[in-house]
Amino acid sequence: MTTRSPVIDLRQITKRFGNFTAVHSIDLSIGEGEFFTIVGPSGSGKTTVLRMLAGLESPTGGDILLRGQRINDVPANRRPTCMVFQSLALFPHRTVGQNIEFPLKIRDVAPEERRKRALQLMAQLRLPESYYGKNVTKCSGGERQRVALARALAYNPDILFFDEPLSAIDYKLRKTLEKELKDIHRETGKTFIYITHSLEEAMVMSDRIGVMRQGRLVQVGTPNEIYTAPNSKFVSEFIGDVNIVPVRLVNGNTLQSDELGAQFVAPPMPSGFAAGHLVVRPESLRIIERREDAENALRGKLYNEYALGSRIQYQVRVGEQVFIVERLRQQALGKQRDSDVLIGWNTADSILVGD
Amino acid sequence: MSPAERSQRWRASLLWAWALSVVVFMYLPALCLLLASSTASRYFIFPITRWGFDWWEKTFDSIQIRELFKTSISIALIVTVIAVVIGFFGALAFARYDWKGRSLYQKLVLLPIFFPQSVLGLALLLWFNAIGLPLSWKSAVFAHLVWIVPVVTLVISIQVYSFDPALEEAAFDLGATRWQVMKEVTLPVLFPGLFSGALFAFLLSWGNFPLSLFTTGADTTVPEYLYAKMVAGYTPGVPVLGTVSTITAAVLLLGGYGLITLRRRARLK
Amino acid sequence: MAEISAHETVSGQLPAAKPAAWRLGPGRANAVPIILFLLIGFAAPLLAVIGYSFMPPRTFGLWQTPTLENYVSVFTGTSYISFLWSLGLGAATVLLLAVICYPVAYGLARVFGRWSTLLTLLFTIPLFVSENVRIYGWILFFIKNGVLLGTFKAWFGVEPESWLFTQGIIVLGMVYVYLPFMLFPMTLGVSMVPKETRDAAFDLGATRWQVFKEVDLPLSMPGIVIGFLLSFVLAVGAIAEAKVLGGQKVIPITHDIEIAFTYSQNWPLGSALAVLLMLVVGALVLLVLRRFDLDTILGRR
Repeated sequence: MTTRSPVIDLRQITKRFGNFTAVHSIDLSIGEGEFFTIVGPSGSGKTTVLRMLAGLESPTGGDILLRGQRINDVPANRRPTCMVFQSLALFPHRTVGQNIEFPLKIRDVAPEERRKRALQLMAQLRLPESYYGKNVTKCSGGERQRVALARALAYNPDILFFDEPLSAIDYKLRKTLEKELKDIHRETGKTFIYITHSLEEAMVMSDRIGVMRQGRLVQVGTPNEIYTAPNSKFVSEFIGDVNIVPVRLVNGNTLQSDELGAQFVAPPMPSGFAAGHLVVRPESLRIIERREDAENALRGKLYNEYALGSRIQYQVRVGEQVFIVERLRQQALGKQRDSDVLIGWNTADSILVGD
Repeated sequence: MSPAERSQRWRASLLWAWALSVVVFMYLPALCLLLASSTASRYFIFPITRWGFDWWEKTFDSIQIRELFKTSISIALIVTVIAVVIGFFGALAFARYDWKGRSLYQKLVLLPIFFPQSVLGLALLLWFNAIGLPLSWKSAVFAHLVWIVPVVTLVISIQVYSFDPALEEAAFDLGATRWQVMKEVTLPVLFPGLFSGALFAFLLSWGNFPLSLFTTGADTTVPEYLYAKMVAGYTPGVPVLGTVSTITAAVLLLGGYGLITLRRRARLK
Repeated sequence: MAEISAHETVSGQLPAAKPAAWRLGPGRANAVPIILFLLIGFAAPLLAVIGYSFMPPRTFGLWQTPTLENYVSVFTGTSYISFLWSLGLGAATVLLLAVICYPVAYGLARVFGRWSTLLTLLFTIPLFVSENVRIYGWILFFIKNGVLLGTFKAWFGVEPESWLFTQGIIVLGMVYVYLPFMLFPMTLGVSMVPKETRDAAFDLGATRWQVFKEVDLPLSMPGIVIGFLLSFVLAVGAIAEAKVLGGQKVIPITHDIEIAFTYSQNWPLGSALAVLLMLVVGALVLLVLRRFDLDTILGRR
């Protein structure tokens, strides 16, 4: 993965709208054929980055390089890149076939040739041939997704951009389409740059993920790196349910939590660490019988339980704070609400992060 | 600045220049009226050598003119009240409810707007004559309504389109009667639309000439008077009244929208 | 206390449903006042005009033996010239308006941002000033010794011929008076094109011209067509421009109708002309409106 030559280089890219800085000096390199996903909450600047890459917005500062060539001033219609929009932006006055053929028509490709190419793409994306003359507005959500992707592929770009195209789709179909998209990525070998606000979605598809917050790129890494070694409280929270305890270092490797009035053993910490957050994932937190069963332990009360299919999630209150513990369904606890429980974790399963 | 941004800015300034020229074009006649009304001489010769506002005084001292204003304003006020009431219900049928025949209804309601007003005025004249209705400012009220009710319905409908029916259902579900729903939810939410509708009704009636011409009988409105004076030859009273009409419209419209904006801002705070 | 009484109505006596015959449905019920009003105020007068058009010439009653005489004299006379003038002037007005208004509509919908509201208001205000007053302003502008020629004379010492009382000035007057009727529907149409759809076309390699031709134009068509229709119909029905600015050099059909009603006191002939005009206009309006769904144009969902 590291041997890939870079196809896109962002050098200190900045974008200001009036007094508002949407993107703060981002440096990023994306490899040829990579599936790269930018994740961030709404307003984090991820869409602006994508629009600058596509040429729909020009950066206020910094350079965008495509295979080493500066492309800041190349307009969108002259870049070998293509975007699948959040709204899909299908042309409502055109049929499925005409939509897919649009970029070919623009390039004056002969009608028979266009039709052949459109039908090929439809087959590749599992759209029935009979849809060729169908009105796009009559297609279902999933079909529209496929038409939009086919249209972008018809442009035959080197890089495809995706601006949260799956956000409006229901859970089950989204899961199917995520996998299909990854398959298309494999089949075409093109570079895919995807943005989403769901880290879960990013994890499923991406080779690498960049997390954005308030216009800055806060962490870049493989899905595994992001999951196991988040570098901030923000990134660790972004992944989903997680237990976070504010702590400060009191001596050597002892952490003190003032809220809980408890002390824990510190995992490996960043140099110069003085105070921050201890992160423990729900699956690393266990319900134990005796304090000695884990390296760190807390006493609390069982508050509620939720069935998550193959697993069960328990909420345990310790003082004011609620901890989330997950177990396999087969190991259900079978305890009454409000009964006393002991929770614990091993130091190696916890992470120390800054803000 | 990148070339793309530069060309974008260049296009924007061209558009601005064009739009502003069109604005100037729209206000050039009003400017001419203002100039002509502020000359002291009996005839209008440009460039003006003797400025003065004598004609303004003379025009407003005239009892006849005051009568004209009274007639025009009475007609406009009555038209406003009736048009907003009918238009409100008409707009609910237009945009709020789904019912069989709505699409046909929408088109038929809009038909009078597309109709040449002079022909409509004549048609009403024939109709009043056929049913033996005497012509006066009251018949003019009716005539104005025929054209203004559809306009007001359309204006209120635009507001109704953005109205979420779930608001009414929620209030109903919380125990409000139909009347309470109307008073507490529907009317306040649609207020800006009703206000615009009223403004349109008043101003369109105030400025209407073709309908008044055939239906006022012995009574005279301001536009009718102006027309008669215009055809008869030059009187500086015409530019004076023309300027007054323009300024009244501008003040009412800008003031009205200013009020709505302020109200919205105050509520958001 | 309030809670208790509310609870009582919910669980207590439920009101009996009204008999089905009385339930008109809320949509239809709300439509009743305006429909009744337009039946009396719009449909009936039109029927009266149609009725009069079949009465013997130069009579004033509505209950005589019907005759086709008026229509015969319309088709054998010279009224067709007036008809052609009206349609021609209307067409010229609409074409000019399209060219003038499109850039403004584009700006209002996309470029001017928060200034759009103010500009829209500025374009609205003249609508509320009587048409003939505004046209009179143009006379003051173009007349001998007026604003234009007076300035010209003061600067260059010579005064050219006035342009008043020519066909060109009539078209200018109509363009001026009906501009908002083209501009507003057009703006509505242009703002109906989603930004992402245009971006997508551009991103797929289309040039600016291709984006306009393939996306902007077809998608804003409903608004543009309505603007064409409104301004054309109003221009065909116009009367004051030709009379005041054109100095009666050109007689449009509406003027013919007015003459029949006033000077020649021939109501049935005037009615026959009005019926023909109504047929042309009504057919055009219904034909065009039938093709559009007003809900989408006016912004439902």
